[in-house]
Amino acid sequence: MTTIAASGLSVATPRVVVVPTVRVSAPVRLNYPWKLGSMNRMVVVVKATSEGGISDKVEKSIQEAKETCADDPVSGECVAAWDEVEELSAAASHARDKKKAGGSDPLEEYCNDNPETDECRTYDN
Amino acid sequence: MAVSTIYSTQALNSTHFLTSSSSSKQVFLYRRQPQTNRRFNTLITCSQETIVIGLAADSGCGKSTFMRRLTSVFGGAAKPPKGGNPDSNTLISDTTTVICLDDYHSLDRYGRKEQKVTALDPRANDFDLMYEQVKALKSGVAVEKPIYNHVTGLLDPPELIQPPKILVIEGLHPMFDERVRDLLDFSIYLDISNEVKFAWKIQRDMAERGHSLESIKASIEARKPDFDAFIDPQKQYADAVIEVLPTQLIPDDNEGKVLRVRLIMKEGVKYFSPVYLFDEGSTISWIPCGRKLTCSYPGIKFNYEPDSYFDHEVSVLEMDGQFDRLDELIYVESHLSNLSTKFYGEVTQQMLKHADFPGSNNGTGLFQTIVGLKIRDLYEQLIANKATARAEAAKA
Repeated sequence: MTTIAASGLSVATPRVVVVPTVRVSAPVRLNYPWKLGSMNRMVVVVKATSEGGISDKVEKSIQEAKETCADDPVSGECVAAWDEVEELSAAASHARDKKKAGGSDPLEEYCNDNPETDECRTYDN
Repeated sequence: MAVSTIYSTQALNSTHFLTSSSSSKQVFLYRRQPQTNRRFNTLITCSQETIVIGLAADSGCGKSTFMRRLTSVFGGAAKPPKGGNPDSNTLISDTTTVICLDDYHSLDRYGRKEQKVTALDPRANDFDLMYEQVKALKSGVAVEKPIYNHVTGLLDPPELIQPPKILVIEGLHPMFDERVRDLLDFSIYLDISNEVKFAWKIQRDMAERGHSLESIKASIEARKPDFDAFIDPQKQYADAVIEVLPTQLIPDDNEGKVLRVRLIMKEGVKYFSPVYLFDEGSTISWIPCGRKLTCSYPGIKFNYEPDSYFDHEVSVLEMDGQFDRLDELIYVESHLSNLSTKFYGEVTQQMLKHADFPGSNNGTGLFQTIVGLKIRDLYEQLIANKATARAEAAKA
């Protein structure tokens, strides 16, 4: 936790995926944050998320549909092309909703899957 | 004559399950009575009854608001299967499994482009496989169901689906094939009118790069012929139709925010008693806003009447307008009858639980919740019926 804060990385941008390559020189001393410099390095890897991919696909498919339909607006190709646009738009909107709903709290996600672990136990009484 | 059939009816929200492996469904117990010389065989059937619900809806699968409300009524949140394909369309909760019928596409996106057919066309779907697998799940056999990946547009390797208590098949063609239709215990059709569809698609797609009003319009227009030919006719087979229309309370409204929603319920369906207002079978027009209840513009208007829909007797409950406050909701709920709630205020509670879902302030959310409660009621009646039938058979 301290490492992320110390290295000054902001994980706010959606397109950047941080892949930490941990090179730990023994012994690991997380209790001494002033000795941070010698321990870990974070390498930022820019990875195109699937959300960006779908948006591009939607855009491309709209272009294609417009082109196909320019020749013949009632042909099977035109209809199939616009159907593809609809399918991709639906997928894009689902991806957006999933991102909005899901990716907020990693602890929440972990606990949904593993409620019996120590971090996730809740005592209601 | 002490013959005991050990059968426990499971309440839907229970956390305990009789773990029944699909291989051994029947356990025979031999017990010797000391008084008589006869041996009694006690037959314990560990099979669970699966009911199948069909939901016909145009936009996407499984993650829709209706599904989430439905699974919430039964208890538990429905989630994609763990550890499987991340692009799976299936949702699984404790009691319910929701299957997306897009998984039964016989042609993937590229195949459809080649053949120049839309996904709405029956030629793009494998109805034989759909029928076989739904039949198998209904009789308690697990199946390997294919996955249609909406992101890549390809058909992925299959995933294992265990038979659940409640199986919901959602998609474009749940009632298209006659054999599948016969397997459904209850069917719902979500009928969105063209104006509302247009308004919703604008809201959904305008944020997307590349889309414009023209492209959205063109997309809807292009799909309309196939939709009218293949999807729309399924309306006549549905036990409940939820029609979403533009409001009549605001003249010339084209924003699609205030909606007029009609719940068309078929009469004479087994285990399904339609919701009514005040007096069953009569025609009622009701505006709850007045002295006891103050509503803000545009208010709420209810209608209830018997009608005929595709040559069937139906009852239609209609709501036009929006809920602004909690007390409006509870006021309305207290005047509706035959809601199949287990306690006073259950509909309101369910609506509040998902206050962030779209449609929570109008008839769409209300009627979806009510249909969910009706399905729960249907399930419990069916189970109770099968239990008594088995008890009778064992006694005989």
